[in-house]
Amino acid sequence: MAGATPTTYSPSPTTRKTKSLIFRNDDVDWVRTDGRDFHQCRPAFFKIGAVNAAAGSAYAEFGNTKVIVSVFGPRESKKAMLYSDIGRLNCNVSYTTFATPVRGQGSDHKEFSSMLHKALEGAIILETFPKTTVDVFALVLESGGSDLPVVISCASLALADAGIMMYDLVASVSVSCLGKNLVIDPVLEEESYQDGSLMLTCMPSRYEVTQLTITGEWSTPKLNEGMQICLDACAKLATIMRECLKGPDSALEE
Amino acid sequence: MGLPDSSGGLLSELDVDAFRRLFPLRFYESHLAKSTRPDGRPLDKARDTSSALGAVASADGSALVKIGSTTMLAAIKMEVMTPSQESPDEGCIAIEFHMPPICSPIVRPGRPAEAAPVVSKQLSDTILSSGMINLKELSLISGKAAWMVYLDIYCLDADGALFDAALLSAVAAFSHLQIPVVSMNDEGKVVVMSEENEGGKEPVNKEKRKLTLCSIPFSLTCILYKNYILADPTAEEESIMETLVTVVLDSSGQLVSLYKPGGSVLAYTSAIQDCVALTRQRVRELQTILDEATAGMEVD
Repeated sequence: MAGATPTTYSPSPTTRKTKSLIFRNDDVDWVRTDGRDFHQCRPAFFKIGAVNAAAGSAYAEFGNTKVIVSVFGPRESKKAMLYSDIGRLNCNVSYTTFATPVRGQGSDHKEFSSMLHKALEGAIILETFPKTTVDVFALVLESGGSDLPVVISCASLALADAGIMMYDLVASVSVSCLGKNLVIDPVLEEESYQDGSLMLTCMPSRYEVTQLTITGEWSTPKLNEGMQICLDACAKLATIMRECLKGPDSALEE
Repeated sequence: MGLPDSSGGLLSELDVDAFRRLFPLRFYESHLAKSTRPDGRPLDKARDTSSALGAVASADGSALVKIGSTTMLAAIKMEVMTPSQESPDEGCIAIEFHMPPICSPIVRPGRPAEAAPVVSKQLSDTILSSGMINLKELSLISGKAAWMVYLDIYCLDADGALFDAALLSAVAAFSHLQIPVVSMNDEGKVVVMSEENEGGKEPVNKEKRKLTLCSIPFSLTCILYKNYILADPTAEEESIMETLVTVVLDSSGQLVSLYKPGGSVLAYTSAIQDCVALTRQRVRELQTILDEATAGMEVD
């Protein structure tokens, strides 16, 4: 259908309903759209070895958020790269055109690519593959909220599947601040109304944080609370991920 | 296994895996001579094929198809457009095939795979020329509004026969497609009708929720090498033996298209006829797989 492509629009209603008022209203006890408790994550599903063509891969599904991560290498670095004693990590995150409610361009997500890189870099023993590059490519098949944390957790599983040496698995969880409430593992709708967000990426066995991103307005006590529930959730998530690595089909649901 | 008896010396000392990498053609020839392939298939057999509908909730229709390791995810999003003046009561279909970097070690971000636009073009030619979809069914209000169907196919794992898998996923996504019920609002825009309907607006397309698919195209790619015909090649086979023939037949057995993009082996008429015969068998298999997938959806 090359040539003159007519301009099109999505027929989905774009009007914002009164939902935001419910989220903001501190007196009303609202329930989350999927019926979860505020501090309850969506059931996590992981599967390793999803892509045969890759050295290692993993598929993750948290509710409607579905991502696939492939790891290639260690392989030859790009010709233009300078000599390096330690290995390089190269990350890329992209979305499918149908990942979002309104059809997108399916282009690379530069911001997520660099955040994924920073979240994983500290956990990988780069000394074990000098002069070479490990490529971590993620594709978000469907965006259902908390995309980046799911990509990060899934990527660390794919790295483990590829046999890349790491200090520990990396688990990531985010929290949205909606009025006076903190909701963990927010869905797309909750994310769009959030006042602030906190994403924590850590190596649970070592109790070390590799990345912490905070946006919006946070009070100190709330920040502490948010970090604590993220750390607890990461520890739980890591056990599910480890279970997935152990058995061929021991996919556990939380 | 696989080593020719005559090759002594250095070759017999190599293990099978090294031999396969160093002398891929001889490795294959020793298999072909025994009418088998390294993965244990007979020459004319396609790999296990499966199809699951509705893999993407955010799309209007979607399907995940696997042929061996080759995996395709196809999804359809419907948007509204003003039809062109030449065809005021016809919709439009835009088909795109993507090979994201996750699918193969040869694709890198920012450098699209060479195969992707080729498969993309073949797919839209095949689907639009097969007459599977009547574009008139995509009309909403003559001259004012019609559906633009965006079909995007993502290759999640590339292991040969990309076109076959992509076409099957496209067809499966169309058979899963559920057209949203829409109405015209006061500003003359077409919007999806919600559950709590406002002000008794009449839906524009109450009856037309599904597309009628007539003469569905199915395909089979074969490799021609010497006198051998290998059906449904893997990526390794495609890289070693370069002459490919893709035959597309519709469900009634009519020829839709035939591609033989170059290659060192000239295709004799008899070889082409054999390919068509293999495709005819394969169409029946694929039709069953598709029927089972749609039947599975209706039970739910």
